Amino acid sequence: MSKLELKNISKRFDGKSVLKDVSLVVNEGEMISLLGPSGCGKTTTLKIIAGLVEPDSGDILLDGESILDVPVEKRGTVIVFQDYLLFPHMTVEENIGFGLKMAKVDKAKRVKRVREMIDLVQLTGHEKKYPGELSGGQKQRVAVARALAVEPRVLLLDEPFSNLDARLRESMREFVCDLQRKLGITTILVTHDREEALMTSNKVAVMLEGSIEQFGTPEQIYKKPASLDIANFFGEKNYIEGTIENGMFKCKIGKFKANHNISSKVKAMIRPEEVELFPKSADTGVLGKVKRKKFAGDRIYYTILVNDTEIRCITKSEKDFKIGETVAAKIDFGNVVFF
Amino acid sequence: MKRMKRRELIFKVITYTLIFLLLFPLVVLVVWSFTKNWPWPNIIPREFGLRGIKYVFGPSSKSLKILLFSLWLSSVVTIVTLLISIPAAKALGVYDFKGRRIFKMLVLAPVIVPSVAVSMGIHVTFIRLGLANTFLGVVLVHLIPCIPYGIRILTNVFEIIGESMEMQARVLGANPVKAFLYITLPLISPGLVSAGSLIFIVSFSQYFLTFLIGGGKIITFPMLMFPYIQSGDRMMASMYSVVFIVSSLIFLVIMEKTVKTYYKAENYFYI
Repeated sequence: MSKLELKNISKRFDGKSVLKDVSLVVNEGEMISLLGPSGCGKTTTLKIIAGLVEPDSGDILLDGESILDVPVEKRGTVIVFQDYLLFPHMTVEENIGFGLKMAKVDKAKRVKRVREMIDLVQLTGHEKKYPGELSGGQKQRVAVARALAVEPRVLLLDEPFSNLDARLRESMREFVCDLQRKLGITTILVTHDREEALMTSNKVAVMLEGSIEQFGTPEQIYKKPASLDIANFFGEKNYIEGTIENGMFKCKIGKFKANHNISSKVKAMIRPEEVELFPKSADTGVLGKVKRKKFAGDRIYYTILVNDTEIRCITKSEKDFKIGETVAAKIDFGNVVFF
Repeated sequence: MKRMKRRELIFKVITYTLIFLLLFPLVVLVVWSFTKNWPWPNIIPREFGLRGIKYVFGPSSKSLKILLFSLWLSSVVTIVTLLISIPAAKALGVYDFKGRRIFKMLVLAPVIVPSVAVSMGIHVTFIRLGLANTFLGVVLVHLIPCIPYGIRILTNVFEIIGESMEMQARVLGANPVKAFLYITLPLISPGLVSAGSLIFIVSFSQYFLTFLIGGGKIITFPMLMFPYIQSGDRMMASMYSVVFIVSSLIFLVIMEKTVKTYYKAENYFYI
């Protein structure tokens, strides 16, 4: 349970820059997500924190002290890897107790602590099993228990849920988050799943091509993305180019009130869920034609053509329009972000 | 149903034919080792005799002593080869460095180039270094044909298990030595058994290299056998061959059993 600071970490592999000037502060007991597409350097960042990879430059501070010269086994930064990496020749008990054995904890204490961990992750009755006999979720819990058993100063989770199926993933996510909150362990979760990052963490760091583009609370990241790339990463959006004059946004599909003062050429980002559709007769918003329609159970994805501009929107499934029908699209400009 | 049965039958026929083809020569060998006289068109030997077994296991015979020495020599070679092969194979299998593929190919060179070609030069050097006609010299020269097998097999093993398990052990607080002892070694133990067996056999059946570097001072079991094969004394040659086969077989079984009980080793690669 410690405060972790990354200061201007850079790393190159074979002349290719993998991490560029990464800085990050994780406060004591916080859980933050490192979110980004695969290959953006998230896992490398974790490995650098754990000491498995050496950074070319920069510093890592744990409670204000540099840990760069501390060997891997003494850092107290434990990674839970994506594929769990349970030791196949050891039972569940031996796996969980491995770190304690390495720390030369005496046997009586070790046995007690292992039992506590097994209770904590609800694996009672599986103590003597080998990893090969466990299901995916159980393996995951053993991996988490094994990491927690050594009371790490920082817990690093490397896409820990991505190998589980959708339902199990949700319950494991809940489980691990509860555990993290209960134990108050400083945690970094690496993920490429936007929802996972937003749901689990105190703060999210969005990482693109080796640098942290934005670091903030989930709400900040979602509502005020710092750049187009980040906005894109959070799903499909509508972008409409136009100009702002006297507090009015002028574009192809009409004039709107804008909460943005700089008068220049801008791009407006409109989230699909901020466009509401009404029948033509409702007489609000702008008129458009339904071009495409995709039914997704609880929602319907529409693409509306307004003055040759495609606008994507998501509605509840009650709003049923036919393809080619003229509809009124009301855009909520209160939440629109201008770039 | 019928097709299943036919398939089973074909499968059985193939299996038993193969087993027969593999074992029949051995049976002939055993028969020969007790045969005094077996002239040509006879299917069964005309006369049996115990000269072979008496000679090999007789009180005045040195065969047993030489057999034990041979087993000892090959064990030393096996251990030394494995000690060299483990780090080399880990480097080739896990780490990425320039020239890795060339090294991987070069490691096999001693198998491709006949050892006669290099051993003459080695002999001269060994004489100069005082290694000729010594136990150490023979062990060293046996490494030449053995190391390729050791490194090659273990490289494949390391390629499969990778580095991640060791990394996991390290972040959990194991220093490099402990990570190797507790994690890597048990994981590669099935590979150690197969590499070790092959290395042992290659060393145990080495004739020419032992003869050249040992210079007649270091006498191994194959060297005892060879004169009888050459002179056509089939009874003695067969007897020695049988002893040769059985002793190496026993040795391999013991080796596998020891490793397995020590590490509870099973094949973890296919989980």
